[in-house]
Amino acid sequence: MAYLEIDNLRKEFRRPGQAPLKVIDGLNVSVEEGALLSILGPSGCGKSTMLNIINGLDDATSGRIVLNGKEVSTKARSDVKVSVVFQQPRLLNWRTVSDNVLVPLLERGVGKREAKERVEKYLDLVGLGEFGGYYPLQLSGGMQQRVSLARGLAIEPDLLLADEPFSALDEITARKLRQEFVRVWATTGRTILFVTHNIREAVFLSSRMLVITARPSTTFLDMEIDVPQPRKPEDDALFELEKSITADFMRMEDESEMKRRLQEAVA
Amino acid sequence: MSTSTEVADDSGIRVDTDVVRGIEEPVPIKRRKSWKRPLRRFSALIGIIVIWWLASLFMSPQTLPGPFLVFSTMLDNLTEGDTYYQLAVTMGRVLGGMTIAMIMGLVIGLIMGLSAWGEDLLINVVLVGFSIPAVVFGILFILWFGLNDTAAILAVGVAATPAIAINIWQGTKAIDRDLMHMGKAFRFSQRSMLTKVVIPQLVPFVLAALRTALAISWKIVTVVELIGLSSGVGYMLHWWFGNFNMTQVLAWTLLFTITLLLIENLILKPIEKRLTRWRPHAAALEGAA
Repeated sequence: MAYLEIDNLRKEFRRPGQAPLKVIDGLNVSVEEGALLSILGPSGCGKSTMLNIINGLDDATSGRIVLNGKEVSTKARSDVKVSVVFQQPRLLNWRTVSDNVLVPLLERGVGKREAKERVEKYLDLVGLGEFGGYYPLQLSGGMQQRVSLARGLAIEPDLLLADEPFSALDEITARKLRQEFVRVWATTGRTILFVTHNIREAVFLSSRMLVITARPSTTFLDMEIDVPQPRKPEDDALFELEKSITADFMRMEDESEMKRRLQEAVA
Repeated sequence: MSTSTEVADDSGIRVDTDVVRGIEEPVPIKRRKSWKRPLRRFSALIGIIVIWWLASLFMSPQTLPGPFLVFSTMLDNLTEGDTYYQLAVTMGRVLGGMTIAMIMGLVIGLIMGLSAWGEDLLINVVLVGFSIPAVVFGILFILWFGLNDTAAILAVGVAATPAIAINIWQGTKAIDRDLMHMGKAFRFSQRSMLTKVVIPQLVPFVLAALRTALAISWKIVTVVELIGLSSGVGYMLHWWFGNFNMTQVLAWTLLFTITLLLIENLILKPIEKRLTRWRPHAAALEGAA
């Protein structure tokens, strides 16, 4: 069995007075250990919901998620060290930058001295070594997001759930951080799920790519990207991939649009 | 204030509130002290005193004594030990009442904010309590407990509670759910969730509640002292009023006001500054407020 097994996952949200909103409709994915799997899909397709279910913050309506051989739910969160980077920084604004990275480590039971070393190491990694004593609101949005990245990485997780972590950054910063991100991944060999709607980013980063459809989500495309790391953003092979996936993506959008119209016509 | 306006504060640092989050250079938190702002703050007060003085020129001292007379009477009073005693008695009642109000207000506010059930149950009680005149609580508690400190403190406590509860209730509504989600995602313990995520977000509301409590408590305690007690600032006001001594009435009011200002500026302001130092734009917003 693979490291992370998503087995016929369904998720519906109950709505008062309406039919439940189907968000994920029978998603099957198995992720091997050490993969950097990008999940690409239109906005609102339940990607964040899926990450929440994997992290045990939400329960599936049906189907199951097995992480490292154990089924995950809100009642039984995995023993696997899971960490998160959100789309927004989500920092404790009343704590210093250092504290923001430190507190989750202490919550995880990392020893004080070790935790402090890691704070320094990962703040340096994201280029904020000198800003430990600042408060988040003194920093720009991009810098705050880098703090959030350092916080996520400092856990040194076995599974990192990244939810569009670079989408709010300017392209130059994002590019630098993507390179660092890949380097950290390559040196630690941990598993990463990387949600994005940026096709180029997905192609550049991942060892495998999953394209899922609009709500309710199912798998549309599942492909290996066997261009060796480290990659160059300007690599022609990557560019070709990006073009063909973009074409596929557009086709998928068209199909779902057609399907929606057809359903409307029937109804 | 619109978020895109440029705010220039007295220190000459221009802060474009739109840019604050976008620039790569950290925003300075420390600002240079300036004498202009305190001057501006006190100019209105000075204006009122001038108007008071002008008005007093046209009236007899029995009706409206001038500011100089009132001020010197107050200073005279301050040479007597009894003045400090009366002030301390009132202060004790205010603190006692405030403590009760803060505890009850926090509990009620949190229950209302954290459970829909609690909100439904308590909202009308709180709103009714808020609209009952403080003097009614004073009368009730004096009838029940007699003319003593217990009555005064309880009256103040109960009368000030609804205002605190409303403040805290609003505070819980403003708690950032995304941050709670972050805490859960990083497996914060229940305790850390409360102490590191929830309570810091409530701090500004607790401070606001403290201010309201202080202001309300002073007002209530004087009324209670005036209608039924034989000590405290309210009693002194009553006594001098009975003697038709307008100068003393105003002197005591002035003493009272100065005490309040001192508490605000020497205790509350520094606490607030310390607890909200992580907000770089606080000074800019304050300047615009």
